[in-house]
Amino acid sequence: MSEQRWQIRLQLQQQQFTLKLDCSSTARVLGIFGPSGSGKTTCLESIAGLRPPAAGYLACGKYIWFDSKQALSLHPEQRGIGYVPQEHLLFPHLSARQNLQYGTQRSQDAAALLQEVIEVLDLSNLDRPIDQLSGGERQRIALGRALCSGPQALLLDEPLASLDATLRLRILPFLIKMRQRFNIPMLVVSHNPLELQALCDDVIALRNGEVIAQGTPITVFTNSDIYGSASAEGFENLLTGNVREHTAHSTSLALAPGQTGPSLTLLRQNSAIGSPLTISIPANDILIATESIHGLSARNRLPATIQQIQTLAGKVILTAAIKGVQATPLVVELTPDAIEELNLTLGSAVDLIIKSSSIAVYS
Amino acid sequence: MESLTNIVAMTVLWATLTTLIVLILAIPLGYSLARYDFYGKQVLATLTSLPLVLPPTAVGYLLLRLLADDGALGFLDALLSWKGILIACSIMSLPLVVRTARVSFEGVDPRLEQMSRTLGRSRWQTFRAITLPLASRGLIAAAILGFTRAMGEFGATIIVAGNIPGRTQTLASAIYSAQQSGNTQRANLLLLVALLVGFVAVFLSEWLSRPAKGGRA
Repeated sequence: MSEQRWQIRLQLQQQQFTLKLDCSSTARVLGIFGPSGSGKTTCLESIAGLRPPAAGYLACGKYIWFDSKQALSLHPEQRGIGYVPQEHLLFPHLSARQNLQYGTQRSQDAAALLQEVIEVLDLSNLDRPIDQLSGGERQRIALGRALCSGPQALLLDEPLASLDATLRLRILPFLIKMRQRFNIPMLVVSHNPLELQALCDDVIALRNGEVIAQGTPITVFTNSDIYGSASAEGFENLLTGNVREHTAHSTSLALAPGQTGPSLTLLRQNSAIGSPLTISIPANDILIATESIHGLSARNRLPATIQQIQTLAGKVILTAAIKGVQATPLVVELTPDAIEELNLTLGSAVDLIIKSSSIAVYS
Repeated sequence: MESLTNIVAMTVLWATLTTLIVLILAIPLGYSLARYDFYGKQVLATLTSLPLVLPPTAVGYLLLRLLADDGALGFLDALLSWKGILIACSIMSLPLVVRTARVSFEGVDPRLEQMSRTLGRSRWQTFRAITLPLASRGLIAAAILGFTRAMGEFGATIIVAGNIPGRTQTLASAIYSAQQSGNTQRANLLLLVALLVGFVAVFLSEWLSRPAKGGRA
């Protein structure tokens, strides 16, 4: 059994409930999912040392930050944690560059790290005061400031929540790139399943201060206790691929390596051939076909196998693995009548029908 | 009769020294009252504000008892000297400066200080790099208020330090002496200087008290 990386045990009295967490994970990027008021931010603040718990044990790898049995509680500045709060909290009297450099005194090679952060987060014009930055730039400076401090772990609190829908599409790829380039353990807190699917290897779901599920993002979000809150704004499937080719009006996205594997046709994108793209498809925008259909306007027809069928609150949630793709299976919402009429069962071979215009591209 | 220039110069010097003394006390006091909850906080806040509501002569009398040879602070040998002026002016200015400093610190979002700590800066480094710069306009306003209060202090000062020309006479006590002796021209001139200094100081204080960046929403 591999060594646990994250060990989060804490007990903290809240106004409405007692936050009681006892979880561990081997994942490098761990997510905490839950609705507002479930104790997510409190948990992050406790880990960052801003709100010490009454009792518990907080550690990541070899770094132990809090251990009530040993009367150990490191000050926030001793923890080596990069914390990115939801409101960014940039220092208003400093320029964007000074914000980035604020924590560099504890990093090993500050100049090289700063350059890498600037490149990964695509930052420019850094000598501006922060009140001249756009919402997306503020978010990237806040991420960059935490990264430039050379942290042993990174805590992200609702990284996309303060941004509008358009900015979310633009910022998520930066988070994904950051995750790939910096080999730092990350803890991401969010009420948005899409962010957690995009970033996390393992997800913990919280309700009223207690853990109700833990597992891979898709396992947790299709859990019958969680799907309702995870799909409140419509469940989105997240996929990544590489641009295979462009035509006059569309772009083909390869979902598996090679020239012949399954692909998705998207509306025309400007990305270079071979470049990675992240896309999302709403679970209620995917149709299921059991037989060949002719004269269909939808551009995508992906052969798949049904892996799971669950009935939740009058809806049937079906997960289907795309043939030839290692990625996470797609979640499809159907009505019970459709399941019955099509006689869908576990292992059934089906086609997933997806309109190009239903696919959101994160770039 | 002491020259006008000398009176103004000495008064400005004493007010400046008073401001420095008061700032040294008011910054930690204002910060503690703004940021921490501790036992006796209300009592401390009340005590620091007390000179604001007491008659200056009452404060002067209390100081006279404390600074007398047989008083608790008799070793300071401050009666009828410049030391007495600094002590009386500091006590009378302290409430205004502490209150303004407290409001300035309360205007700095404590979460910015927390962010600084997570980025590896200690409490003291955070205070210097984040809190002090963000509260600086309010603190300068507090210093100006303290300075003007010290410039205009009369009641407590005259009891503790007297009104000795060339030694402990301030702008305020000089106006009093000129008016009492019927020297209207000198009283008017001193009044004009007092008005000018007061106007500039309060104007600066108001200007610096405008909402600053980093204030709490």
